[in-house]
Amino acid sequence: MEETAGRGAAIDADGVELTYSDGTEAVKGIDLEVPEGEFFGFLGPNGAGKTTTIKTFATLLSPTGGRITVNGFDVQREARKVRESIGYMAQETSVDLELTARENVRFAAQAYGVPRDRRADRIDELLDLVDLADVADKRADEFSGGMKKRLDVATALVHDPPLVFLDEPTTGLDPKARNKLWDYFQRINEEGTTLFLTTQYLEEADALCDRLAVILDGEIVAEGSPMELKRQVGGEILDVDLADSDERERAAEIARESGVFESDADVTVSDDGISVTAERAREHGTDLLVALRDADITVTGFNIRAPTLDDVFLAITGERPDLDRDDGDDATATTAEVTAE
Amino acid sequence: MSDAGYVGAETDSDSDAESGSEARTDGGATAGSEGARRSSNGFLGDFWVNFVRWNLKAVRNPFVVVGSLLQPVIFLVLFTQVFGQIATGAISRGGGAGISYETFLLPAIAMQVSLAAGAGSGIGLVNDMEEGMFEKVLVTPMSRTAVFLGKTAAELLRIVVQILIILGMGTLLGANIATGIPGAVGIVVMGILFSLWFVALSNIAAIVTRDQESTIIGANLLQFPLLFVSTAFLPLEFLPGWIQTIAKFNPVTYGVDGARALMLDQDVMTVLDVSQFGGIWNTLVPAIVVLLALDIVLGGAMVYLLNRASSSSVR
Repeated sequence: MEETAGRGAAIDADGVELTYSDGTEAVKGIDLEVPEGEFFGFLGPNGAGKTTTIKTFATLLSPTGGRITVNGFDVQREARKVRESIGYMAQETSVDLELTARENVRFAAQAYGVPRDRRADRIDELLDLVDLADVADKRADEFSGGMKKRLDVATALVHDPPLVFLDEPTTGLDPKARNKLWDYFQRINEEGTTLFLTTQYLEEADALCDRLAVILDGEIVAEGSPMELKRQVGGEILDVDLADSDERERAAEIARESGVFESDADVTVSDDGISVTAERAREHGTDLLVALRDADITVTGFNIRAPTLDDVFLAITGERPDLDRDDGDDATATTAEVTAE
Repeated sequence: MSDAGYVGAETDSDSDAESGSEARTDGGATAGSEGARRSSNGFLGDFWVNFVRWNLKAVRNPFVVVGSLLQPVIFLVLFTQVFGQIATGAISRGGGAGISYETFLLPAIAMQVSLAAGAGSGIGLVNDMEEGMFEKVLVTPMSRTAVFLGKTAAELLRIVVQILIILGMGTLLGANIATGIPGAVGIVVMGILFSLWFVALSNIAAIVTRDQESTIIGANLLQFPLLFVSTAFLPLEFLPGWIQTIAKFNPVTYGVDGARALMLDQDVMTVLDVSQFGGIWNTLVPAIVVLLALDIVLGGAMVYLLNRASSSSVR
């Protein structure tokens, strides 16, 4: 059989295309292979095609081109087999608010056919894992956003699937709730579960993923470990705001020529001042400030940050992603900000 | 590509759902499945899981159970108390001597219950879509047909219970079911038959609008005019000419006349001239035929839209 080609790979996608009925080409020929046990990240801005891709892998959308096998099964011809062997957590928290936490998990356990004699133990185990055992018999509409999300995680894991899809699982959560989720994800990954996560946060991908693909406008534009990708950006970024924008060129000149940074530093003029990208830029920040003061240039703002998704795109594609191009989501609020820790 | 592409693809995966489970038993996906081992529920199991879920939700939500019963109860009590005397007089002048307004109105209220509960079906669906549960269920290996049938069965159970409550209350208020217990069962069956087209319609509204408010408003806005421009509250001959015309094409007329024929043990249908079946069957046969046809047409449209919605659920 042809499917044997997919064995050993949790996901094997070949030339996947998805064009919506209105003509929108959401996914334009994606090739991807995710080996079993990997924590894989799918990184991209809103509207890049992340959700469309993940739904295609999870049998919620049918590809209009290409072939996908998930856990060795063809997503179109063997949809039910695929559904039995994956967990899926949608971007929007999906829990039944009228049911209790336990009833939500029980429903999922029954839906996935967890055998009756294992069910009660499994439900307790999962409520324990996501720290909802205390409130197991409270209705989900009394839960905070983070608790609902954790309940959602539990329901995606009931059948102990070898592969779990997580579509922007931490969007909209506070850092504490987010860190908690990260812990669960890492734990189940360490136990051998393959995880496929989409995110628009480089920081999240960095913290969790073994390997990343960057998707932009329906195409994969880069693939590699987080380190490899960040290396393409080349270090840290110093943003310097100036009082007088006419001084920007002169300040850029000083940053380039004063010998503060190594010669491969990249200095660009921004709206409010200048921006320097360099290895270990943070160590030389004060030197730059001193040099600017000596040249009588007034600095009004100074910020050292890690590369953002924007910077990755800038490095990979040579242009800023057009973040306004979007399929109707509220993209502007979440343009991938990653600040320095 | 076209929508047809998705529907086609959905058909594929659905047929896989029915037949594919046997095709591969070589354990292609057993990797990592120690622990909570998966097994298939079968169609009945899937049906049951969803039937239980929707019953649980109905019990949890007092608005669903009590709220949808409240309006029919208010109608029953107020109409009989306010219009009772005048209406009873009018009905007896129209040849229905000895029929109290309570008895005349009760089958109509039973159909009103069906309408209200039918409207709830679409509201449940749109709620599921907004909460993400719709998609969550689609990604499970459950048979989609069983999922939908389980939900609908729970709604029909609610209709049965509510109609029985209404019939009980009506009897307490002095209404009389001339055909006795079998007739009461017949009215319940008529209520189910009558609710299905409205179940379908409210689900269509849910799929098309994907918006809770629109579905609620749409279903409620439709309910009252439909009831009033039918034979629900007064015999056809007392209604103005234009309402008589509309009443002929109004499904409510057929549901109400069918239930009323059982209630009174009389051929009460006046919108159609049917006489070859004898007795109340002159009302029941056309009523059942019309309602069944409507159920099949709207039900078919709903299944088509539901299939399309579940195979391209992004937006």
